[in-house]
Amino acid sequence: MSEILAIYRKEMKTYFNSPIAFIVISSFLVITNWLFFDYGDYPFFAINIADIRGIFDYGAIVLLFIAPAVSMRLISEEKHQDTLELLVTMPITDMHIIIGKYLSTLVIFGIILAGTLVAPISISFVGDLDMGIVISSYIGFFFLGATYLAMGLAASSFTRNQIVAYIMGIMIIAVFFLMNGMANGSGFMATLFENLSIRFHYQNFFRGVLDSRDLLYFFSLILVSLLISSTALSSRKFR
Amino acid sequence: MIEVLGVTKSYGSNDAVKDISFSVKQGEILGFLGPNGAGKTTTMKMITCYMPPTLGSITVDGLDVVNDSMAVRKKIGYLPESTPLYDEMGVRDYLNFIADVRKINGDSRKRAFDRVIHVCGLSQVIHKDIHELSKGFRQRVGFAQAILHDPEILILDEPTTGLDPNQIIEIRNLIRQLGESKTVIFSTHIMQEVQATSDRVLIIDQGIIAAQGTAEELKASIAGQMHLELVLRNADKSEFIAIVNDLATVELDDIKLQKNGDLDVSLNINAGTDFREQMFDLAVSKQWKILESSPSSFTLEDVFRKLTN
Repeated sequence: MSEILAIYRKEMKTYFNSPIAFIVISSFLVITNWLFFDYGDYPFFAINIADIRGIFDYGAIVLLFIAPAVSMRLISEEKHQDTLELLVTMPITDMHIIIGKYLSTLVIFGIILAGTLVAPISISFVGDLDMGIVISSYIGFFFLGATYLAMGLAASSFTRNQIVAYIMGIMIIAVFFLMNGMANGSGFMATLFENLSIRFHYQNFFRGVLDSRDLLYFFSLILVSLLISSTALSSRKFR
Repeated sequence: MIEVLGVTKSYGSNDAVKDISFSVKQGEILGFLGPNGAGKTTTMKMITCYMPPTLGSITVDGLDVVNDSMAVRKKIGYLPESTPLYDEMGVRDYLNFIADVRKINGDSRKRAFDRVIHVCGLSQVIHKDIHELSKGFRQRVGFAQAILHDPEILILDEPTTGLDPNQIIEIRNLIRQLGESKTVIFSTHIMQEVQATSDRVLIIDQGIIAAQGTAEELKASIAGQMHLELVLRNADKSEFIAIVNDLATVELDDIKLQKNGDLDVSLNINAGTDFREQMFDLAVSKQWKILESSPSSFTLEDVFRKLTN
């Protein structure tokens, strides 16, 4: 456990010693809030309804570009600087390295989540927000981000180039996010793609219901992504 | 302390090292000598648990590097080739991170820091960022990382590459100093380095061990052998070759006809014979004139070149 925290603390220092953390957190908040309050055919102030769903709709898309930027350097930079060679010969397992790094991205995302609270809190003073839906939406948004970050981490573990990791991360997330659009109708393939898509499971949280199937779906994606990342680190042993 | 038994490492159909065996005793400094790509780094990566051998076994203090990997890692301090460091971190932050991972806490962390700052001479850079450091100081930070947990074994992959002559001497002294209490394996392709620092030398070439022993033993294996460079006038090349080929104690290394007709000859002379007198008599009888004659004894460098060419 203490090794995991050692990796976690190192990553947090790196995020905050450089402008990375500040840039990703502020860009997400600025872009998402702008889209929510002021963009499109139904901006918040024009429709005049106390509903913050827009934050999570726009947020899911903005995060698609922000999350891989948080996770892109995690392994690729270690490979690029050759520090990975030293790290994996320390008394720490490959999985612990991955978990420690993943934990740091979750905390960055936690700060982003906290930043979005400004909208529901201020709206709750002037309108009648359905707190049940707000809470379930936040839980959904947390799992969405956690999944994006795990996928971004997996992408990072296959390359020594951060840009490649970033683009690969976006592609993987986008495929899973949009998968329900790949088949129409009610056939087997359509149901399969729908059930495999992030968007399908994500939308369920906005009804104010926590369905174990949705939670299981996100848990599985996170777990598989972390296993893939750890296996990519260990692949040096099988070559 | 370290036993390497019949180890082979294959990458696909390529064998990086082939069936190598050697052992390192406690407190010994072993110099790994070999040209680039000989398999030095591969061997070190297997001992440090970076990757397992394809065949054979490696044990460190009786512990298997595959089955008891975590226990082995605790005993080893490793400085990989090119000294990887986190450029964006400060020196103290970096050492704190290593101490975190190695679980050195509280008072023992403070003592460990005092020790490595003293041994590696880091006091003037401890508050700096790593990207500000010169190559020499980067190397010292790499050393500090490797000895922070006071390991019994140090594995150093080309620790002096890219340093200036003064820094090289500093690092060699550091290796010798650390070698007084620790078992050390270090690799290099520089001959003097091995002679200057190690108790024993292992010459590795194309994945196999070409020779091992102390520097003296290796030199003794060709002891008494001499090298003789001659310049002859009025000598006939084919006649000279024919005469030398008949002699059992002399081996022709190189022969060249100069533009002015003089003959440049290079000979390897076996132990126990002094060919110079014989050469003089031969030259008199054939009416050759010896313009130059320079004998030299073999160095460890010649051993290395002989074994790895």
